[in-house]
Amino acid sequence: MKKLTVALLTASALLFTGAAFADELPGLTKKDSFRFVIVPKVVHPWFDLVNDGAKHAAAVIEAQTGAKVAIEYSAPQQADVVQQNQILESTIATHPDGIAIDLLDPSGNRAPLEEAIEQGIQVSVFDSVPPEGMELTAIGNDFCEQAEIASERLVKLLNEEGEVAIMMGVPSAPNHAIRADCHKKVFEKYPNIKLVATGIDNDDIETAQKQAAAIMQANPNLKGWVACDAAGPIGIAQAITEAGKAGQVTLVGLDNLPEMLQAIRDGIADSSSSTKPQMQGYWAVMTMWQKALGVETPKTIDTGIAVLTKDNIGE
Amino acid sequence: MQRKTLSFLLANSLAGVFVALLIIFVLSALLSPYFLTSYNISVIARSLAFVGLVTVGQSMLLILGELDLSLGVIGGLCGVVAGILMMSFGINPWIAIFLSLALGAGLGFFNGIMVTQLGLHSLVLTIGTAGIYGGINLVLTKGVAITNIPKEIQFLGRGDVLGVPVPFVVMIVVLAIAAFVTLKTPLGRYIYAIGNNAAAAAMLGIKVNRVRVLVFTAAGTLAALAGLLMVARLGTAQPSIGATWVLPPIAASVIGGVATTGGVGTPVGAILGAAIIAIIENIIVLFGVSPYWQGVVSGVIVVLAISFDAISRRYMRRDI
Repeated sequence: MKKLTVALLTASALLFTGAAFADELPGLTKKDSFRFVIVPKVVHPWFDLVNDGAKHAAAVIEAQTGAKVAIEYSAPQQADVVQQNQILESTIATHPDGIAIDLLDPSGNRAPLEEAIEQGIQVSVFDSVPPEGMELTAIGNDFCEQAEIASERLVKLLNEEGEVAIMMGVPSAPNHAIRADCHKKVFEKYPNIKLVATGIDNDDIETAQKQAAAIMQANPNLKGWVACDAAGPIGIAQAITEAGKAGQVTLVGLDNLPEMLQAIRDGIADSSSSTKPQMQGYWAVMTMWQKALGVETPKTIDTGIAVLTKDNIGE
Repeated sequence: MQRKTLSFLLANSLAGVFVALLIIFVLSALLSPYFLTSYNISVIARSLAFVGLVTVGQSMLLILGELDLSLGVIGGLCGVVAGILMMSFGINPWIAIFLSLALGAGLGFFNGIMVTQLGLHSLVLTIGTAGIYGGINLVLTKGVAITNIPKEIQFLGRGDVLGVPVPFVVMIVVLAIAAFVTLKTPLGRYIYAIGNNAAAAAMLGIKVNRVRVLVFTAAGTLAALAGLLMVARLGTAQPSIGATWVLPPIAASVIGGVATTGGVGTPVGAILGAAIIAIIENIIVLFGVSPYWQGVVSGVIVVLAISFDAISRRYMRRDI
């Protein structure tokens, strides 16, 4: 009898501990609906692909858990940190479960990001670097590696000699600045590669086209281009076509917008070192969902880089 | 009685825009549960403050019959210069702010002198000076923001007074001064007189060019003030500050009853117009309007707001 009592007490203690342990674990409380907001840098087709990935993630969560997941997409009309902050602040006022944002400038975005966190809103950043000292999950790829793949490929295509140029995106955007810096470092390794010009396109195709046309006019011996944003290589490809320099000037592009892929198919661009915007949107939602449930998420999620060529992009 | 009240309201130049603002405000409050929260109201107030300061200056220029398209760029350049003075030269932040305000005044003064002394059209001239000031901004910054702005001045952009954002308090003070000057002082009467008919004003002995230069200088100073407050808000001096302050202050002034031909309207009306724009920008996000539809939606609301004023006046005139 005594043994039975001890056994029963032990079993109850274990059950109690197990139940208490289960209660303490995050993510075990059922939540029936979520609302997440995606805030990109600007209205831009690349971010539409991010949004597609975000919607995919929402559909997966709904299918697997039955919870309702709403994705809202709120983009600044211009790549301007003041406008992005206004959108961010108005979004905070709606108290969503999470905000995923591509920061235009980590320091300039800090104040509203802190306000979001103070109000208990989960924040993930994608395609950008979180402000210093803020523990936010960052989804994206290694921007430097992405640039290095492109510039190393260009150098090899040019047999390690000739004049090259870089098209920067938004100079104050950290991912664009990192790519520009890494392109330069690759070119510096090769004594016969000469960086003759750097354009700024502010992530705008028309600006990129104008800048590229002017740079090619000023540097008739230019042999190759790399870019730091998605709009840049599309504008460069247009400028190369208009100047009749297809085949004379080599372009290794960036990202996977339809126009970029078409430029590869048309032989204007050799290839593209591409981020995976859909995957970034997908994992941005997944991390916000986990954080909204109270589960800790990794500091970074690397979505990797794809090298797109005529052989692997299809018709 | 009600009709009389309505007639009185519509007879007042600010009544139309005020009623339009009220309708948009009430509809927003009814349609969005988030609109009337204290946080959201402070978000609207703060965003209104920056563009509002530029709007006060631009509206006074419009009343005068002039226009300055470089005000936004002046705001950005002065913010960047303040950042450089503080971070690269280690100058005391308050002295840097003073010097940047003086720079804003100087740039506005330059615009005024060019317009009056060379007889240039302010629209054309300020397209040019906007290019110059914006170019200097890029030369100084290479497009890269100046970070780590001292915390001691950040309350100017981030702080509040009894729950009211500091930039909004600053804007209200500036607006009160501008309203007093335009409506209660001889200088204000001169501005309206010049806006109505510059040649007649000159014949009456008003020093037309001096008044013009003075208002350009004041508008430049207010643009610089907006830029500096934005630097304090962001904690960085962004080269892009002011890029979106070109058309909204003009649109706000027109919505608020300021005639682009000069001589009509008040800075208070212009600020009411700016408030309509600020609320529209806010509710577009609150309602989750697709970014591709935002331009259409905000444009339609602005057109409706302007039309409301015009149509209601015509209706009342016919009916009274």
